[in-house]
Amino acid sequence: MSHTRTLEELRHADAAEFGGKSSTLGELIAGGIPVPPGFAVSTSAFRAFVDEAGLGGMIATELGRMAPDDVDSVGAASHAIAQAMRSAPVPDAVRDEIAERYAALGGDDPPVAVRSSALGEDSQDATFAGQQETYLWVRGADHVCDAVRDCWVSLYSPPALTYRARLGENGEPAMGVAVQQMVDAEVSGVLFTCNPVSGDPSMVAVNASWGLGLAVVGGEVTPDDFLVSKITREVVREHLHDKDVEYVPDAAGRGAVRVAVPEERRGVACLDAAALEALVEVAGTVERYFGSHQDVEWAFARGGGLHVLQSRPVTAVAKPGSSAPVSAMAAVMSAFGVKKD
Amino acid sequence: MAAPSAVGSFPSPYEIETPPGCEGWEEMYPYYARFDEERRAEDEQRFWFWNSMHFPVPMPAFDAICVDSPYQAIGNWQNRVFAVPPAMGIDWRCINGYIYISGNPVLDPAKIGERAGYFQARAGYYYANWDELYGRWRAKMEALIVELGQLEVPALDEYEPDAVAFEDQETSYAAVIQAYRTALRLLDVMWQHHFEFLLLGYGAYMTFAELCKANLPDIPDQHIAQMVAGLDVLLFRPDAELRRLARLAIDTGVDGAFVEGRSPAEIEAELGESDAGRAWLAELEDVKEPWFHMATGDGLYHTYGSWLDDPRIPYASLIGHIGALKAGQDIERPSDHIAETREKLATEYAALLGDDARKGFEELLALSRTVFPYVEEHKFLCDYWFLTEWWNKIREFGDLFVAHGFFENRDDIFQLTRLEVYEALDELALTWATGGPARGPKYWPPIVARRKEILERLGEWTPPPAVGAVPEEMLDPALIMLWGVTTQRVHAWAREQEGGSELSGTAASPGVVEGVARVVRTVGDIGDVRDGEILVCSITSPAWAPIFSKITAAVTDIGGVMSHAAIVCREYALPAVVGTGRATSAIKTGQRIRVDGTAGTVAILE
Repeated sequence: MSHTRTLEELRHADAAEFGGKSSTLGELIAGGIPVPPGFAVSTSAFRAFVDEAGLGGMIATELGRMAPDDVDSVGAASHAIAQAMRSAPVPDAVRDEIAERYAALGGDDPPVAVRSSALGEDSQDATFAGQQETYLWVRGADHVCDAVRDCWVSLYSPPALTYRARLGENGEPAMGVAVQQMVDAEVSGVLFTCNPVSGDPSMVAVNASWGLGLAVVGGEVTPDDFLVSKITREVVREHLHDKDVEYVPDAAGRGAVRVAVPEERRGVACLDAAALEALVEVAGTVERYFGSHQDVEWAFARGGGLHVLQSRPVTAVAKPGSSAPVSAMAAVMSAFGVKKD
Repeated sequence: MAAPSAVGSFPSPYEIETPPGCEGWEEMYPYYARFDEERRAEDEQRFWFWNSMHFPVPMPAFDAICVDSPYQAIGNWQNRVFAVPPAMGIDWRCINGYIYISGNPVLDPAKIGERAGYFQARAGYYYANWDELYGRWRAKMEALIVELGQLEVPALDEYEPDAVAFEDQETSYAAVIQAYRTALRLLDVMWQHHFEFLLLGYGAYMTFAELCKANLPDIPDQHIAQMVAGLDVLLFRPDAELRRLARLAIDTGVDGAFVEGRSPAEIEAELGESDAGRAWLAELEDVKEPWFHMATGDGLYHTYGSWLDDPRIPYASLIGHIGALKAGQDIERPSDHIAETREKLATEYAALLGDDARKGFEELLALSRTVFPYVEEHKFLCDYWFLTEWWNKIREFGDLFVAHGFFENRDDIFQLTRLEVYEALDELALTWATGGPARGPKYWPPIVARRKEILERLGEWTPPPAVGAVPEEMLDPALIMLWGVTTQRVHAWAREQEGGSELSGTAASPGVVEGVARVVRTVGDIGDVRDGEILVCSITSPAWAPIFSKITAAVTDIGGVMSHAAIVCREYALPAVVGTGRATSAIKTGQRIRVDGTAGTVAILE
């Protein structure tokens, strides 16, 4: 197998080949953090796809005549490339590997999440570049292959094209894809291993809402908001909100649908003390493993079980305190109004 | 009072009316304590807040000495000894018997600079030599308590003792007057000692707290307190001794005497009937000195006695502890857990900081821990032990007046100002010497009776939390450190003048509890508290130990995260919100309230 690896085999060093998300998931597994099992599709699969389908020339032509500052022109190029890609087959070699890896997950067409795994560690850039596609509750090898291709297509979304044009990147883009067993999330959300607003490193900030993580990540609900002490596990601040929608698996068995949360559950805290404690625990493990503050996506499966779905470094943290260092006595003097000379 | 005042959102002190039937209350207080028309222009522009922390009820005339003497002392240390750069001392005024205070800022930058030189040299000396100076302080404070105990108030009998005639002993009338002078002097010395370290102690702690908050912006106040608080706290010893006595009673089989509803005398009578009971009573006697010098409350009033004066409080505690032990409960103060938490917090917070911040954190934590024994211990030695003994010493003068017909009861002396007592003693000395008829027995009783009535009526009046101008900023370190009166707090008071069903204060002990409020204004109301109620008071004292095993949360008018209510609530793991400004006036006994000790809010639910 040359185009895929299991997630647990990957490390940061594999990021150039498999993208940041997949390699990070591999690191998380290595750190003993509960990550749903799955496999990663290499950038080589994407290249094989483009080569075998002979899309290179067509893409180059479209990009060559695109006017990066003209929204309509970018849209037209994006549309043309997407159409061409969607009508091209995934190479058999890639398809067979994906099918085999998928079957190895066990079960009868297990639902999986298919996520793009962008190259380059800078997650903020990736966000701008539109390389954050996620397809939830995908079932069956063919559909998985389709979803993988959809991830590749997202490389040519209008924002991605504009972004790369602005950076003057003319080279061939590439992307990895992560395929992971789906967590049937009762509650999900994100956590920061510090308070990103105040910069307090002793706190874990948690945003949580009902159902799959889409609602929180996509900003479709105002999530419950908790600030929990890493040291004592006390909830220092808590703001509950009306969580009126959630994403749940479609009854038909494929995809996730957005539904209204029943009135009586909306205002109720979606995490209890034990769940928050589990999150603080996992936050500590992730932070220690990576040695920096992390922004972690997580989910509690129906019937319990915490899973980490993604982690990336927190880039924009407020830096608290620390003006010029002063001695303890100078600080006391200053509290009594002795001004520094 | 409802009309908006020209000076801001607090009422003007000049617009506050005297409650009906209280006319003439002013005569109980010194002339300089009044908001007088002649200084209206200045006084109305100052910010005055009701010091309900120390003076929750109207001051009896004599007790006002415990306003003057402490403010002389704190002003002296702050302004004349240490010369705290931006703040001199604290002035006080009286409205309808309630004490309002206001700081005197230093505004001239040149003066502030000049004072900074003195402050750095003098405060620096104290910090650098803290342990040695504090050791000396303990010794002189203990000596002062001994001196007070030895002060004799001579009787004025039919004839002078032989020693006056044959041994050149001082005459009794002169000795009485001298004893009174000495008593007043000892009080001044006590307050002088009381404030010697106080500001510096709190200042070190506050600086540590500020460093914590700058680097760990979300750190709960109680974590800061837990890192600093001492392990072997003098203030918790009295209750620890009671727990030990409770176990002893069970171990020696005399616990049957401790029946709810029995008076201390009844319990002691039953104990006196058996050997084991007598042994227990002997053990109790040992504990009394000094641990029963615990006061029954935190206020600076003659009505706050010690456990020796009112054994009902320790006995109620004993009954509670024995009941809890027999029900299989663990009544021990979890000192291992407290010590563990203290170190865990300190180590783990330090580990989260960068190198520079960690150095400051560790130095200031060490300094805070050095100064903190004083902050915790001065309370027991000064406010409780000395002060309760001192009121009793004054009562001995009361006895003398009763013996000579001036008063009906010994406590009537507290209805006279300290200068009136001087005057009355002079008349007593004169008429005792001359044998002529004294006017005092006819002159004082109606005054005493009227003042008692006025005080009772004033007690039903609710003072506003602050009067005068709303300050733009609170800069006085003492007011911030000792009273928790920060800019934010004052502005919240001003906003809340209109009322509203939510109060905000300092989150002093975490947790959320809903329940029925019990407003306790004076220590005498402690007995009304029922199981499961939420205590609402001006300020609590750790001496109220029996209450804390009954209540589910506490709310106070004034105080910061290091106030005693806060400390005790954390000990008992009860939610607490302190420094709400108006809890005792906004909340009525019987109302359902929700106390959020994590957020620092109190909601009145009905």
